[in-house]
Amino acid sequence: MQLAKKETVSKTSVQALPISKPESRLYMSFISVAFISLLIGGLMGLLQVLVRSGTFTLPAGIDYYQVLTVHGVILGLVLTTYFIIGFHFSLMGKTVGISLKQRKVAWIAFWIMVIGTVMTAVTILYGEASVLYTFYAPLRAHPAFYIGLALVIVGSWVAGFVNWHQLKVWKKAHPGEKSPLLAFMVTINTVMWFIASLGVAVAVLIQFIPWSLGYAETINVLLSRTLFWYFGHPLVYFWLLPAYMAWYAIIPKIIGGKLFSDSLARMSFVLFLFFSIPVGFHHQLTEPGIDPTWKFIQVTLTMMVVIPSLMTAFSLFATFEITGRRKGAKGLFGWFKKLPWKDVRFLAPFIGMLAFIPGGAGGIINASHQMNSLIHNTIWVTGHFHLTVATTVMLTFFGISYWLIPHLRGRKLTPQINRLGIIQAIIWTVGMTIMSGAMHIQGLLGAPRRSSYSEYGGGEQVTEWIGYQMAQAIGGTILFIGILLMVYIFIKLTFFAPKGVEEFPIAEEEEDAEATPAWFENWKLWIGITIALILVAYTVPVIDIIQHSPTGSVPFDFPIGR
Amino acid sequence: MRKQEVKKASEKDKPDLKGTFVSVMLLGVFIIITWFGAFALFISR
Ligand code: HEM
Ligand SMILES: [Cu+2]
Repeated sequence: MQLAKKETVSKTSVQALPISKPESRLYMSFISVAFISLLIGGLMGLLQVLVRSGTFTLPAGIDYYQVLTVHGVILGLVLTTYFIIGFHFSLMGKTVGISLKQRKVAWIAFWIMVIGTVMTAVTILYGEASVLYTFYAPLRAHPAFYIGLALVIVGSWVAGFVNWHQLKVWKKAHPGEKSPLLAFMVTINTVMWFIASLGVAVAVLIQFIPWSLGYAETINVLLSRTLFWYFGHPLVYFWLLPAYMAWYAIIPKIIGGKLFSDSLARMSFVLFLFFSIPVGFHHQLTEPGIDPTWKFIQVTLTMMVVIPSLMTAFSLFATFEITGRRKGAKGLFGWFKKLPWKDVRFLAPFIGMLAFIPGGAGGIINASHQMNSLIHNTIWVTGHFHLTVATTVMLTFFGISYWLIPHLRGRKLTPQINRLGIIQAIIWTVGMTIMSGAMHIQGLLGAPRRSSYSEYGGGEQVTEWIGYQMAQAIGGTILFIGILLMVYIFIKLTFFAPKGVEEFPIAEEEEDAEATPAWFENWKLWIGITIALILVAYTVPVIDIIQHSPTGSVPFDFPIGR
Repeated sequence: MRKQEVKKASEKDKPDLKGTFVSVMLLGVFIIITWFGAFALFISR
């Protein structure tokens, strides 16, 4: 085991390369699409909660599911992917640099994604793809919807390839050095994204496109759903890991502390890579065509992510406590008071961390095999991911924006914008506590998700629900105000904040930190284990699905579709 | 003398993380309570 022995000697201080104007234009382009999406998607969210309260009907015969498709696609897929790729690129540009050629290819990635996004958006707006962001077969959309999605994915791959190339070039120039922590994390996330999105690409190219074009008469429904969730769970980790990058490697700097442990951070990312993909069945626990044994195996693998999640929680608490004690905090929890509560770059992501406590606990409940039937397809699930993605991830992305945008635009985060940001974070917290809380409770009372207003023919149980839908309308309206404020802050930071220099915070290691073992750079090993786990979890059940599926389904354009 | 130095060094290596320990334990307790809450509901239905 030669590789386990070798240790990286150099403990170079954090690399921080300057970001040029053309570079920042690239990064800002991705981030801008994200904020435009936030506004449009937020408006749809507002419409949904108003309709569901029973006090409002959509004008001009617009269908509820068209609105919900826009909401899910633009917030779940577009906003997240663009922000993340822009953030990935800024981290890589800052830590390992980007060449002119790499930048050109990155622009190609951007434009492929934009063409795909526009295609998908136009199709949805014409009412030709009201199939929701999961596009479950046998609902059929217009082929342009699937082709557009495929282009977005291909564009994101090109972006990922550029990131890998950036790291490779850097490593050539720095033989024997460990890769910068943030570059390592970006690489983990893009590797995971690539392996995972192969599944949905196969479903779209081989199943959906020929079927929606009419070349294939039927589709294997179970196979398409299985391929979707092979992608769908890692998708949520693709959203979450950039937030973790900020928590591990940026927040310590903002609070005036040091990196807790470089090796622990890398290890947790490696574990997320392992256990994010071979687990998609936990979204299909009520699916009749999958053998319960394989559901159980994937449920077990799912629970493994508890390990890196708790490692992350421990590491964050420890960072806070060590930093607080260095600032003179006493007692068991005195360090808590030493945190920079008035700095929105800290406060917004911190609230995101708090939201992940009920978010994570809810996730464990969701994935608990038989117990999933308690909440399956209820509005509890919607409450769950509005905590995880729409609070934890979003508030962290907002927290990143407060320094990243001014840094890229050569401006300053003024005390006034900082204060607006704090108000924004509080509005979000209040709105989401009300909306998500009401969704959780209503879900436990049996109310379905993905449902417009209905009295369900006057069922008795239904009368219990409407109060919670009212609460969601109130919470959702507050949230929408939060979105308007955030978009205002975005415009302000991008175009109007005073010129100046804003720091790109990257945490440094302790002086006496232990060296990170060199075997962390063994990408073949990490990717090999990842693929092995996928093969273990999926080979037999997928063969089973292909061999024993009933006849495929013809397309359905009703009740929703095109 | 030498022993003291060693002790000092190792003390510096080990920061006081009592608050972290308690926090992580509370987090675990929260997860367990919510899980058993949902489990009770599941069983009762
Ligand atoms: C003003 C803020 C928001 C409001 C009022 C809102 C409201 C809602 C509601 C009521 C639903 C469920 C509707 C149903 O199942 O019938 C929903 C679904 C969803 N929301 Fe939001 N939301 C907001 C922000 C966000 C954000 C910021 C994200 C992600 C970053 C997001 C992602 C989603 C997704 C992925 C779905 C699932 C769509 C589906 O089931 O197909 N939402 N939202
Ligand atoms: Cu999942």
